[in-house]
Amino acid sequence: MTPRIVTATLAVRVRSFYRERSTVFFTLAFPVILVLVFGTIFTRPEHLNFDLPVQDNSRSSLSAGLLAGLVQGDAFSITHVPTDVDATAYAREHKLTLLLVIPGELGVPQVAGAPGGDGDTPPAVLAPLTCIFDPSSTSVNTKIQLLEVVVARINQELAGVPPVFTLTPVSILPDRYRFIEFFVPGIIAMAIMTSSLSNALNMNAELRQKGIIRKLATTPVTQADWLVSSILYQLILGALSTAVILLVAYVAFDVRLRLDAWLPIIVALEIVTFVGIGMLLTPFAREAESASAVTNAFLFPMMFLSGTFFPVEMMPGFLQAFAKVLPLYYVNEALRAAMIFADGTGALRSVGIIAAFAVAAFVAGTRKTRWGGEEGA
Amino acid sequence: MSSSASAIVVERLCKRYGTLLAVDDVSFAVTKGELFAFLGPNGAGKTTTVEVIETSRAATSGRVLVLGMDVAQRKSEIVRRIGVLPQGFSSFDRLTVRETLHYYARVFGSRVDINALMDLTDLRGKADAQFKTLSGGLKQRVGIAAALVNDPEVVFLDEPTTGLDPHARREVWEALKGLKARGKTIFLTTHYMEEAEILADTVAIIAKGRIAAIGSPASLTEMHADHLRLTLRMGPAESDAEGRGDGDGQRRAVAPEVVRMLGFHPTAAPDGAICVPIDSAEDVHRILAKLHAAGVGVRDIDVRKPNLEEVFLKLTGEPEVATVNGAGGRAT
Repeated sequence: MTPRIVTATLAVRVRSFYRERSTVFFTLAFPVILVLVFGTIFTRPEHLNFDLPVQDNSRSSLSAGLLAGLVQGDAFSITHVPTDVDATAYAREHKLTLLLVIPGELGVPQVAGAPGGDGDTPPAVLAPLTCIFDPSSTSVNTKIQLLEVVVARINQELAGVPPVFTLTPVSILPDRYRFIEFFVPGIIAMAIMTSSLSNALNMNAELRQKGIIRKLATTPVTQADWLVSSILYQLILGALSTAVILLVAYVAFDVRLRLDAWLPIIVALEIVTFVGIGMLLTPFAREAESASAVTNAFLFPMMFLSGTFFPVEMMPGFLQAFAKVLPLYYVNEALRAAMIFADGTGALRSVGIIAAFAVAAFVAGTRKTRWGGEEGA
Repeated sequence: MSSSASAIVVERLCKRYGTLLAVDDVSFAVTKGELFAFLGPNGAGKTTTVEVIETSRAATSGRVLVLGMDVAQRKSEIVRRIGVLPQGFSSFDRLTVRETLHYYARVFGSRVDINALMDLTDLRGKADAQFKTLSGGLKQRVGIAAALVNDPEVVFLDEPTTGLDPHARREVWEALKGLKARGKTIFLTTHYMEEAEILADTVAIIAKGRIAAIGSPASLTEMHADHLRLTLRMGPAESDAEGRGDGDGQRRAVAPEVVRMLGFHPTAAPDGAICVPIDSAEDVHRILAKLHAAGVGVRDIDVRKPNLEEVFLKLTGEPEVATVNGAGGRAT
């Protein structure tokens, strides 16, 4: 390996990169777009607020109290539905997913422990509320559950008895943790995998197809020079891409992840792994066109099964088992352990596995690709 | 084969791919400073032989010396002292001509004057154009310039003019003549006979993995081509041949017989002309005089010297070889 040749080749790669707009887009802009889109979809405001249409047939002080309780804490915003229509037909007609119906006749609530209650029979339900819902809506169950919680609270307040149990959720994380915090490390891992693998694969196929390798083989450039410069080039791209993703996530969604020495270590190992895999796949991608097909066939399952977009725990058992043989799974695990959970031990365990992948892929990749190829006459 | 005067020595080279013997016991030598043209039909073992000499492919057996060094042992030294234009040269799309040459110069650790190199290959005007925007001829010239960045003693050019238009081809030829004038040894692989005939000091023809002939273009044609070829087109010298009487047409029909009586072996060409292999210019006079005496009018004659292409076709048995001008004397 000659440093002069490595730096000259690196300069060629960097120049070619910034002159090729589509590469710039897919390397830098594409992950950023994913962060923005998914971040916007999944980052909800702190307080959930649902629209709740209500048909109030009683219009009593009791129903007014109920409605006041429902809007308390910004849980629901109430809209009124006319009382002279059939509620179910109205909901269907207006595409309402949930409609609360307060009956016309409401009993007068009894103060607990007051005389008049018959000890043997349970107290009759005074205000049987109905909610009409559309089961095809994915969010309606959450709304109904929230409604039940709020109604229970109102009941309990009306009864005037202090609660026996209270529940305060405490996160295992030092900081607040939203979906976007989970998502950003996944996108970093994905962006680096994509650019390492496809650059290694496309560049090799293109070099071979255009005969550039034939020329390089008659110069002092060795395969090791080329490989080292490829990895350095990917490190530059990886650093650039990671910085852009983190910056956009911070500016747009106030994502603050832990940045320490783990991040560059994990990213570097991931690059070596996927450049090596790219070289391994080169024989299947003789031409630049088939290279992109091979890249996609490999990238997409990896992306979806390794916990990039959603936690692996959400998948059925056999897919979870499959995920655990994919290198990207460990990259995701390592990045999340380091950047979210500040879990050094967990990060170290995953990093060890990625390092094993990196060595294996690199050794196998270099043995597989040969310049000046003996395979063709 | 003294190795001090030889830039390249190939001794009993064999290259086997599985059961196919692509190069079969090939030996030859290239003298320093000459332009050596290596000819052969596709699949004859041409490129394989060249790649072994360039050190980018290993031989099955035999010995190859470049500048006195064995290709199997001193690859990296040889690579520094040769320049190669591979077949179908291409380079990094997004790099300019200047950047491309600069890259190859840096790779060789050479301090070559890039501007002088671009002047030599007439690329100065395109110095800042990206490679992908260049025409085929310009790309080839970039390839030739890139083969020269390390001031090589031997330059290998594998089909440098394939796919170029006649104008671009001539430009490449000029560049090659310039290199030769500077004392470079040039190893040219081509399948254009005209190119070899014009440029080469020595021509080697390879067919089916073996050297079929080697020598100067003149000695090869002398040795292997049979005869001069006289082509006769009958008819009066005046225009309007159609209006003539039947008698003239009959006289024309006897022309081959007249020629045959003189002891020649004429053949009929598809366009009605007659081809006669002859030995000397004297024969032309004899044939024309006899035809004149027989009253046969000759409209047009053409005497063609035997050329390398005929030699090539005879030795390789390959009819489908490309010719520079398309028509050029296709022997049958």
